[in-house]
Amino acid sequence: MLVQLDGIFKWVQQGGQQIFLLKDINLEVEEGEFISIMGPSGSGKSTLLNVMGMLDTFDEGTYNFLDEPVHNLKEKHRANLYKQYIGFVFQAYHLIDELTVYENLEMPLLYKKIPSSERKAIVADMLDRFNIVGKKDLFPGQLSGGQQQLVGVARALVGKPKLILADEPTGNLNSKQGEEIMELFKKLNEEGVTIIQVTHSEKNAAYGSRTINLLDGRMV
Amino acid sequence: MFKNYLKIAWRSLKKQPFFTFLNTFGLAVGMAGALLISLYVYDELNYNNTFAEGDRIHRAQVDIKFGGQARAYAVTPPILGPTLKNDFPEVESITRFRNWGSMLVRKEGTQKNVKEQNTAHVDPSFFDMFGFDLLKGDVVSALTEPNTLILTRSAAMKHFDINNAVGQTLVLNNDETYRVVGVIEDFPKNSFLRNHSLLMAMEGLESAQQPEWGGNNFNTFFKLSPEASMQEFQPKLQSIFLSYVVPYVQSTFMPGLTVENFHAEGNYLRYSAVALKDLHLSSNRVAELSQNSDMQTVYILSFIGLFLIVLASVNFMNLSTAHSLKRAKEVGVRKTLGSNKTDLVKQFLTESGVITFISLLVAVVLAVIALPYFNQVANKDISIPFLNPIFWGILLVVTLVLGFISGSYPAFFMSRFRPSKVLKGSGQTSVGGSKLRNGLVVFQFAISVFLIISTLVVYQQLQYIQNKDLGFNKEQVVIINDVFAAGDQMQSFKKEVQRIAQVKEATLSSFYPTPSHRTDSGFKIVGASAEDKTIQMQRWQVDHDYVKTIGLKLVAGRDFDRSFGTDSTAMIVNETAVKIMGISPEEALGKQIKLGDAESNDNALTIIGVVQNFHYSSMKDEIGALNLYLSDRATSMAVKLAEGDFSNTLAQIESKWASVAPGQPFDYYFMDESFDETYDAEKRLGSIFVTFTLLSIFIACLGLFGLAAFNAEKRTKEIGVRKVLGASVGQISYRLTLDFLKLVGIGVLVSLPLGWYAMNKWLEDFSYRIQFEWWVLVLAGIIAIGIAILTVSYQSIKAAIVNPIKSLRTE
Repeated sequence: MLVQLDGIFKWVQQGGQQIFLLKDINLEVEEGEFISIMGPSGSGKSTLLNVMGMLDTFDEGTYNFLDEPVHNLKEKHRANLYKQYIGFVFQAYHLIDELTVYENLEMPLLYKKIPSSERKAIVADMLDRFNIVGKKDLFPGQLSGGQQQLVGVARALVGKPKLILADEPTGNLNSKQGEEIMELFKKLNEEGVTIIQVTHSEKNAAYGSRTINLLDGRMV
Repeated sequence: MFKNYLKIAWRSLKKQPFFTFLNTFGLAVGMAGALLISLYVYDELNYNNTFAEGDRIHRAQVDIKFGGQARAYAVTPPILGPTLKNDFPEVESITRFRNWGSMLVRKEGTQKNVKEQNTAHVDPSFFDMFGFDLLKGDVVSALTEPNTLILTRSAAMKHFDINNAVGQTLVLNNDETYRVVGVIEDFPKNSFLRNHSLLMAMEGLESAQQPEWGGNNFNTFFKLSPEASMQEFQPKLQSIFLSYVVPYVQSTFMPGLTVENFHAEGNYLRYSAVALKDLHLSSNRVAELSQNSDMQTVYILSFIGLFLIVLASVNFMNLSTAHSLKRAKEVGVRKTLGSNKTDLVKQFLTESGVITFISLLVAVVLAVIALPYFNQVANKDISIPFLNPIFWGILLVVTLVLGFISGSYPAFFMSRFRPSKVLKGSGQTSVGGSKLRNGLVVFQFAISVFLIISTLVVYQQLQYIQNKDLGFNKEQVVIINDVFAAGDQMQSFKKEVQRIAQVKEATLSSFYPTPSHRTDSGFKIVGASAEDKTIQMQRWQVDHDYVKTIGLKLVAGRDFDRSFGTDSTAMIVNETAVKIMGISPEEALGKQIKLGDAESNDNALTIIGVVQNFHYSSMKDEIGALNLYLSDRATSMAVKLAEGDFSNTLAQIESKWASVAPGQPFDYYFMDESFDETYDAEKRLGSIFVTFTLLSIFIACLGLFGLAAFNAEKRTKEIGVRKVLGASVGQISYRLTLDFLKLVGIGVLVSLPLGWYAMNKWLEDFSYRIQFEWWVLVLAGIIAIGIAILTVSYQSIKAAIVNPIKSLRTE
């Protein structure tokens, strides 16, 4: 079992009241699944994704990732866990503007302390696979939105994660670019990568194997 | 990885040229200022440090209060040196200097004189004590015989090739002949001998052999044995007063003196010593061998240097944390890609390292450019030791430390950002740390206002000195040096000069209110009892035209007058002298005064006039008692010129001089310029204050400007909302500016009492000084706030005129 959420609650105090962001979330994700999370604005989609990505904490419940009890882990261990197994794709791409495409792809490998020659091979392979060899020396500002997101996905994959978490990956793209990214996800999923995406669009959700609907922090 | 850090550091700096410029330039200016100050302080602290066994060398000195005046002398009686050597086994050797100031020097058989500015008679133990060797000549026998001298290399080269200098004969002041027995390397720039170029054998100097304790004219240095300590030696030095000075005074001019009544009148005579290495910074006494500096200036400058660095590094922190908003997204992304806190801290430290390093390079360039100006202001001859690896080592270490200190807060601050927060939406969130930033702004402005206050006070005091009624007229007076070189022709030269149409008056004397010769002696009123106190007075030899030429004002009696045949026994005193006598100026007229140690009344002088007190030494000192009497002896001539073009008149005087004294140098100075030189130290301090105050305000403004830009950016949304709700541009810019003014205002309030206290302390040094007025504080505050308004309002207005649709669209 890749992800196992059991009775997850998350809340904040606002004006003396407890506001629930997540309420009693129970979710199991097997390896190789492609899950879409849907729901209106403020329903807790992104919060759930961040909790699963270990970027955010929760207040109650248990979370096992690859049978490791995340809720019991120290922050440092948690960080190590997601660094190793999770890749993130963002709505606003979040490429580092000061680095070229090549350098952006290389960065996760630097943090993993992978030797230079190996790094080069992996990045070259990735550039090749995404067909962006010609753009490797360009800066993000010189690319279209779709191309930037392509690099974003490539960067998420470069560390060979088991799970990709994508927060509205097509939110800033036009429909054609969006379609390309979804096709890419589908292909990656077929190759064995587990994907969880947050989306507003029924069409995009349809790419997934399963859809989870959220309303006011609760699964419906 | 490090390469990656460097790369991204470089690129993000390039991407934000404005921010990078503010940061580097502010830091570079601060570093350059601090670098120059450090070199200055280093130079000052290392004065007199080059002598081999210098830590054992001390200079004797004496504090005397006698005859109504207290004096601190750097000189002692001639017999003190030999006495120390004979009586105390711990004194290994002694060397005495009898300083003479300038002398005219020519090679025997030639006519043309060359002036050497500083000359002295010195004991032959000089070489051994200070560890000097001779370039030419035998160091063992040098200066053991009368009428021999040694020259420094540059002094020798004015007359002959140094290889055949030894054995040549020189004529000093057209009078005495001396044989050259050695050539010595020029003395170290940062030593008390720096200006000396000619040293004569003490052996031939009669006054040096006198077993007398009355006059203080010899700078006496002694070297203690390695086991001895100055602390233990001090009481022994002190004991000389009882064992030698008291018996001497009793046997000569005050037979009735007892130690008890001497002390009962509040008098004292204390011998002490100052270590050679402390000489330059702690000794400012009468008759120093060369002008010394003081520790206060070193402290003040060190503080200013420190202020600059702190200001610059505060700027850096402020701008970096403010700027971190822009980097928040990057931090978030890096964290999700696997970076941990340490990696980020390292990355940001690398970045601040890069900035400080670039600043260092800029700072060195700035320092090189500013060095000539700085040397001029500080009256130094400092060079940047580019070839010294230690210098670079220190510079690099300091840069690294500075980079680390100023970079660490921003680094730790930024590495704490949480990805789930900063990656939300398009990435704009608020960053914290505003309390610290506000505190830093307060701090910066407190320092700046403090410096502004100091500058205003120093400037006012200087103005006061320049404009104070001095009691004499320094304008349009030229002093011609070394007129004695004309010999018998001196008087006729004066008459010739007086005949020139543009010359109003001329007088011959050795004594002028500007830095020149000084002699003081104890005097007594004729008819006073033996127990009556002597009056310590300056005695100035003048001629009949002195009072008119210098413009002294008589408050009682009359000036010297040729129609009175008796004026050769007449004396004019100043108000202080009369005051010490305890009588009014009118009562003083007709009183007879004789030298304190004179047996008979034969040579007594009669007071015929009293002049208003005039400032003949620095305004740091009270005006002491002084008398004028007639004499034919003079070293220089003062000439009072009519207003108009001086150059023509000077040319005429010079041609007269050439005819009476062919081959003698014509050397003159203007009295007002020389007067100004008396306050060089204060003026230097003034200029240094102004320069560095401007620098520090500049740095503080850079920081404020950057912070205002950041603040405006951070509040774009708020400003947009306010505008939509109907706020005017004026209201918004007022609001934004006011936030900063509050901080500046607090800074001002903090610094006012500090400035008040510190500058009152500084003023206490002057016997004649301005009143510290409250409006100085107000003015300093207004200046600071005014500058702050100018700095901030640009950014505030810029932010306020932005169309709200633009600023609100981001959400």
